[in-house]
Amino acid sequence: MDMKNYEKQDGMGYDALREIGSIGTGNAATALSAVLGRKIEMTLPEVKLVGFDKAIEELGGPEKIVVGVLTEISGEVNGIMLFLQNMEFINIVLETLLQKKINDFQEIDSLDISAMTEVGNIIISSYVNAMSDLTGIKMQLSVPSISMNMLGGIMNVPMTMYGYTMDKLMTINGTFKCDDEEVYSRLLMLPDVESLVYIMKKLGVAN
Amino acid sequence: MNNKQYVVGIADMKMCRAPGVLVTYALGSCIGICLYDNVIKLAAMVHIMLPVAQGADMNNVYKFADTGVREAVRKMTAFGAVKSRMTCKIAGGAKMFETFNNAEWGNIGERNIKSVKEALRREGIRLLKEDCGANYARTLYFDAATGIATVKAFGHPESKM
Repeated sequence: MDMKNYEKQDGMGYDALREIGSIGTGNAATALSAVLGRKIEMTLPEVKLVGFDKAIEELGGPEKIVVGVLTEISGEVNGIMLFLQNMEFINIVLETLLQKKINDFQEIDSLDISAMTEVGNIIISSYVNAMSDLTGIKMQLSVPSISMNMLGGIMNVPMTMYGYTMDKLMTINGTFKCDDEEVYSRLLMLPDVESLVYIMKKLGVAN
Repeated sequence: MNNKQYVVGIADMKMCRAPGVLVTYALGSCIGICLYDNVIKLAAMVHIMLPVAQGADMNNVYKFADTGVREAVRKMTAFGAVKSRMTCKIAGGAKMFETFNNAEWGNIGERNIKSVKEALRREGIRLLKEDCGANYARTLYFDAATGIATVKAFGHPESKM
């Protein structure tokens, strides 16, 4: 299949992506549940292809303050894994791991940052491992880095990486539910175009 | 700010006259370029993402620093601005993830800043003020009545320039 951009992707491709995404998010939820000792579920992932402004709007608006954990995927496929968490989610993590609660992002100290990075890393790694097992594609993850800032600024990273080829972002994202309540936290997988084609081929969806 | 606000999207440009305020949200490694002709109170803001147009995707000139500045200046001139009177203020170009060490993309903010400055030099426009770099996102307001740019950022005091 010759695909220069994501737009050529058809319904069947989306279904396949959603399917492998749901296995990834299922694993991530189990891993997180083990770390936090709470009931964690993840919604069925959504696969979306939207313009930059709209992508940010759908994730909560450009000025929303979030903590983002970012890891690069390399190897047979290339892309970015981004885990976004808001105050509510951070408090769930901090309460369980460090027995504290924060009311303001300014109160976050280096130990909290470290805890959040680790949780992000666990979620991302289990997602990618599950996907790798399923598809037989080897993927390496970089050391995670963290940023606490406006959502729009954080989303600049994948946008600039794909900016030369695309005006849109392909996101495969899932939302967490903790004790049956939805908490804002998004796990995004952002593959580049060639990687997407490669994944499709491996799954036998592309011809 | 009870003036009319115009939101400039990503890889977008808008122009307005006084009274009017241009705003662009959450500039990370992107750069907000405020161009201004003080005499006719004409302001323009460009939100660029990448340093140089590599012949790629020329549907959107405002995605790139070099083509974005050139096109914005051309449009402003068409609306009566004079190049020699035009001034510029820029904000953005941050490095959002400290340890993000992909050589090509890690310092994209810095490359954006450099490219914007080069483009301004080529057009012969003075760069008056800048609020660039560091590791935080900025929201940029630009008032067409005064030519004052305001930068708001998370965890940093609001600054005017």
